[in-house]
Amino acid sequence: MRIVIVEYGMGNVHSIASTLKYLNVSDVIISSDQEILKNSDKIILPGVGSFAKAMQRIREAELDTLLYKLSVEEKKPLLGICLGMQLLGRSSPEDGYNEGLGFVNGDVSRFDSSGLKVPHVGFNQVKPSAQAKLFHGFTGTPDFYFTHSYRMLSDEDINQSVCDYDGEFVAGFEVNNIAGVQFHPELSQQNGLRLLKNFIEKF
Amino acid sequence: MLRKRIIFSLIYNDGFFTQSRNFRLQKVGDLKWLEKNYGFQKIAFSLDELIVVNASRTNKSVSDFASMIRLLVNDVFIPICAGGGIRSMEEAELLFKNGADKIIMNTALYKNPELIKELIRNYGSQSVVASVDYKTSNGINEVYIADGTEKIDKNLEQYLEYLELLDIGEIYLNSVDKDGTGFGYDFATIHDIAKKINKPLIIAGGAGNEKHLIEGLQINEVSAVATANLFNFIGDGLPNAREKIIASGLNIANWNPDQISIES
Repeated sequence: MRIVIVEYGMGNVHSIASTLKYLNVSDVIISSDQEILKNSDKIILPGVGSFAKAMQRIREAELDTLLYKLSVEEKKPLLGICLGMQLLGRSSPEDGYNEGLGFVNGDVSRFDSSGLKVPHVGFNQVKPSAQAKLFHGFTGTPDFYFTHSYRMLSDEDINQSVCDYDGEFVAGFEVNNIAGVQFHPELSQQNGLRLLKNFIEKF
Repeated sequence: MLRKRIIFSLIYNDGFFTQSRNFRLQKVGDLKWLEKNYGFQKIAFSLDELIVVNASRTNKSVSDFASMIRLLVNDVFIPICAGGGIRSMEEAELLFKNGADKIIMNTALYKNPELIKELIRNYGSQSVVASVDYKTSNGINEVYIADGTEKIDKNLEQYLEYLELLDIGEIYLNSVDKDGTGFGYDFATIHDIAKKINKPLIIAGGAGNEKHLIEGLQINEVSAVATANLFNFIGDGLPNAREKIIASGLNIANWNPDQISIES
């Protein structure tokens, strides 16, 4: 199996790659090359940092149109992680209003209650959606590692799994072949390994 | 519910991991020693996070340090925070590329706030942990930078306000007086300032056993407890401490310990 981790200069992709290798994925490639992405079995969109900067880099590399073609039209499995998940949504106000890729109906906003510690950092419990393939085999409310100041909210059914930090937000979603997780499975011990294994096997 | 964290800090000095006592460094062993005595990949499964600080006094090469990080993080699936001596975006990027998920900054917070702002613009505030070293003298908490050698003109409270305005992601608060003593954290200061901090607060300096970790975790505003004590937590010290902490009912992550099956 060939999984391509999209490299567009936003954060640590090393740990995602080493997790996939640990899970015996035979072919793990870190790249933004269009041909390599076209010839992948699955795509992971990672990301740490600013939404505005990330979208700018994605557009410059014309990855927005390519990802639309591959994942929305051709149904290639796509997993967004952390900022990568947020980018799959419609918009974010981080560094000024910016449109995202718009593959799912969710909007990003900042945690903003007074007295709330921001960023939201650490392991927190996730309430999985019963239909979520990513959470296949999990019971209860498993812990995953989060670190973020902005979160996605959605009024619509995007098959969301939720986490509570000053109210529920989207910890993960799955719409057909397109999924996203706000937390970092690659930093979430056995729980994260299990979730990524589900992405490898069930998508 | 957001869990509290147990963090292990490794202090790296010229090729060796060290035991620090009041910031005086004693060489303990290299990466092989750490692997042998801590079974690192195994022990990582009882930690919430790992912080690795380059405290090298003679050769503070970020690229050598980054190469060591790359080896250290192999098959360790927990967040890694690394830093020490970072003075440029390129040096920070080198750490991110070699497996760091966040970076810990100290001297540059005070000397080069523009670099901090640039880091936050690029990597987000959650990627920047502010390391704050202080000593208590005549009841005043004085802040030090440059590996505890240079006193600055702000006291602890003023400095924490300054850091909040910089919008760093977390505070790593380290008492130089308590560092490496194993006598417990500086609870007087922690109780005094914890409520004034709106960022996740990691306390460090002085933990010698799991009772100290528990006492720290019981403080509402404390997000994480850190220990850098290589001696007191050797062998199964950390997994055992975690078990006792979970048994005491504290709110920390409880992972499914089952090994997942991996088909080859």
